[in-house]
Amino acid sequence: MKNAFRQLWQKIRNLPSAVKEFFKESGRETYASMCFMGVGQMINGQYIKGLLYMLAEGGLIAYFALRGISDIIGFFTLGTVKADAWLGIEGDNSVIMLLMGIFAWFALGVLVYLYIHNIKDAKKYADMKIFKEHLPSFRDDLSALINSKFYKLALFLPLVGVLIFNVLPIVFMILIAFTNYGGTIVPPELVDWSLDSFGKLVTGSELSQSFIRILGWNLLWAFASTMFNYFVGLGLAILFNKKCVKGKAIWRAFPVLAYAIPGFITLLAFKFMFSNGGPINNMIVDNGGKIIDFFGINSKWMARGIGLFVNAWLSIPSIMLLATGILSNINNDLYEAARIDGASGWVQFKSITLPFVLFSTTPVLINQFIGNFNNFGVFFFLRSDVLSDGYFLASDTDLLINWLYRMSIEKNYYSIGAAISLIIFLITSALSLIVYVRSASYKKEDTFR
Amino acid sequence: MKRILALVMAVVMVVGMTVLLVACDKPSSQITLRVLENDTAKKEGYLDYILEAFNEKYKDDNVVAVDANMDEYSNLEQDGPYGYGPDVLYQANDVLMKYVEGHHIMPIDIQSMEVYEQVPQNAWDAYKADNNGEVIYCGIPVNVQQPLLFYRKDTLPENWQTEWDKNDNDIPDMVEYWNEMYLYSKSIRESDNSKFGFALQLNNEYFNSGFLFTYGGYVFGNNNTDDTDIGLSAGNAKLGGKIIWELAGIMDQKCLDDSFTVGRESMLANGTIFATICTPDMTSSFIKELSAVYQSEGLSEQEALQKVDENLVITGLPKLPADGDITVRKDVTDDSLWVAHKTMGGVNGYGISSYTKHRDWALKFVEFATSKEMVLKRAEMLGVVPARADALAEMHDTVAQITYDNLDDGTIVVMPSISAVGQIWMPIASGFKQIATDGCGDRIFTIDDIENVLKTIDDNIYKAIHTFS
Repeated sequence: MKNAFRQLWQKIRNLPSAVKEFFKESGRETYASMCFMGVGQMINGQYIKGLLYMLAEGGLIAYFALRGISDIIGFFTLGTVKADAWLGIEGDNSVIMLLMGIFAWFALGVLVYLYIHNIKDAKKYADMKIFKEHLPSFRDDLSALINSKFYKLALFLPLVGVLIFNVLPIVFMILIAFTNYGGTIVPPELVDWSLDSFGKLVTGSELSQSFIRILGWNLLWAFASTMFNYFVGLGLAILFNKKCVKGKAIWRAFPVLAYAIPGFITLLAFKFMFSNGGPINNMIVDNGGKIIDFFGINSKWMARGIGLFVNAWLSIPSIMLLATGILSNINNDLYEAARIDGASGWVQFKSITLPFVLFSTTPVLINQFIGNFNNFGVFFFLRSDVLSDGYFLASDTDLLINWLYRMSIEKNYYSIGAAISLIIFLITSALSLIVYVRSASYKKEDTFR
Repeated sequence: MKRILALVMAVVMVVGMTVLLVACDKPSSQITLRVLENDTAKKEGYLDYILEAFNEKYKDDNVVAVDANMDEYSNLEQDGPYGYGPDVLYQANDVLMKYVEGHHIMPIDIQSMEVYEQVPQNAWDAYKADNNGEVIYCGIPVNVQQPLLFYRKDTLPENWQTEWDKNDNDIPDMVEYWNEMYLYSKSIRESDNSKFGFALQLNNEYFNSGFLFTYGGYVFGNNNTDDTDIGLSAGNAKLGGKIIWELAGIMDQKCLDDSFTVGRESMLANGTIFATICTPDMTSSFIKELSAVYQSEGLSEQEALQKVDENLVITGLPKLPADGDITVRKDVTDDSLWVAHKTMGGVNGYGISSYTKHRDWALKFVEFATSKEMVLKRAEMLGVVPARADALAEMHDTVAQITYDNLDDGTIVVMPSISAVGQIWMPIASGFKQIATDGCGDRIFTIDDIENVLKTIDDNIYKAIHTFS
């Protein structure tokens, strides 16, 4: 990790001298390609490649002339004319302008990339000409694409797909956090750039107080539920691995059955079970007790506890299955040697089983942590009809993701929602990177190979 | 080999997608009106009926109305500007009118329409908006909805005619006056702890806001148009809050979640509860459950349905005491002691999308759909209360008449028609839940505590609307 950064820094420091060197050694082909993409290639005698470069530049210039430049301007202004369907004014749609603006930046990036690539290419083949080497024909290039450079061809479409369907929306979402989009400001109203969302979350308003409270509970929840699920799952796996357990297959089937039912059906079933008119309360009443309001307005810790339990029900089976697989890989000689040395069961677990399982499952543990940190379903299904005192439009069981949903989907406050999700992203990515980089499975990657 | 295969696959995919895109882009010269209706109208076949009738009438004009075929709550704001929205849409007034601010639905010149005279002004007000000081209307009312009381005659006490009909009008007092309902429910609870008299999900914001309205509460100030003035705790609304608290006392914790909503039909049918509040569009499921119970007692289907018809009564809500105390008996012959129970209600109707390319035809469709014939048909098929006076008169339906009169005299408080209305539900539900939690639990709230909860509701709504705008 550190090495990669050092190399990058070296590269950046050497850039000016490298560019100087490059120009010193360049001939007319390179300069020709600098003037217009593809001309250098033409001079080199690579006509088809040159033509393709020319077409690319022509196309991109046409795009920028027709709409690219105005899209980039629109990216900054986010619209100047308000639409009005009654007066027949089409107007500007800020959200579309933002999206098209991002796209135009992408196109600009492609243009710059092609331009640099084209100059380097022109120089490379001009140099080859000087040394009287054979220049590859267009056909040679093509055949290289399906042979030695097949990975480029194979990855091209997925890369374009990822850029358009993943990266573009993510950039869009991140940028939304820096606007005032949402509430009453939705098209046809014009959106503007603004840092208000972060301001409101950070400065000492009720919103930030609420944010800190929810974040605190969110972290507690993520740690508690991940640890609980992990160790109970591991415990079950070890239990079912013991020789003395009879009918392992049947015992294992039960957690798997729980795992096989779709999560939200399980959640709805639990909500019904714990509801005030549900079976659990019926049993309590039949035995002479009083109805317990499990998800009521005052049942903060009870609801949190039930959430933990329900989530455990949903997640433990997968951990158990995973651990079962890993346990079968441990060499039994280790245990035998440990027993001869007089190690107790606990010491064996601590020194052999746990390190081994932990080593293989750290990435899964991180995955579980992130999943639990952003666990939307549990409290959305179990308790989403309550607002608690001291929380800004949230209940004391809501996680950040539930709050985010209420803000952005139910209440249309998109920019606040985007800001919260950006903060969630920073927290979860920082935590998982740190944990992963410090873990044995990253540091000693080769240990168990 | 693999590489060639991969290449072929890629080419096939690209070609396939291009063909698909081209194929979707078929031109058509016919005028198509896309009509968005609610799911009930689709399910019960009313939508098909009206589309067929409209297309039959205008078959020579090369115009055809079709089901917009989208979710009943799909957002015009998001679909309309890009050409994907419906041309005509049927919605509750709060949903339809939230589109006015962004000019997504058209103002309609209602005075020139045939329906204008037939609909009471209170219904038109649900579609009234202000456009730079000028009054405009953006929808045509079709039917009115309000919560009604559902109860069973055959679970009344045997002696109700002598003990529970003090005003001698042959209607049990407990379905006419909340105090009697309270006392009757209490006596049921005391004799059998597993049964209830009146039962209702008390954190339901739609059914229970009326208690506050009756004593001076309101949602938004200035006739539900000013979203900076939130008044659920205004006037003596705390008396209404106290009533919710008292009602929680004659139920149990089941009133705090959806137990009484999910189970209301079967609970009424098996005698667990005596009465509840519901909207009339649910009537058919009440009938189904109750007739199933009668059939299990040995009646034939025909007999069972007849018995349901005799015993299941749907009527207006009981009167509330003027002083707000429902726990003591009051003279039911003295009208000055009682006030009408205001309820939240809605006016559903048609609006026209601003993005329609055929405004004239959309208007023609709305005119057709709001004609007496169609409104009457709708009322018959869907069991709704028509907003047209002439359609109502032809129905001879007493329950519909109650709702219509309630709308006319302001007992129905129509849901606000400004966009901020979307922010009111959750805070109200949560506040009601807080009141009811104490009411069926510790019972330590004073009237001031209740008022504070109502103020918190106001405060939360204000925050929800104004923090980010």
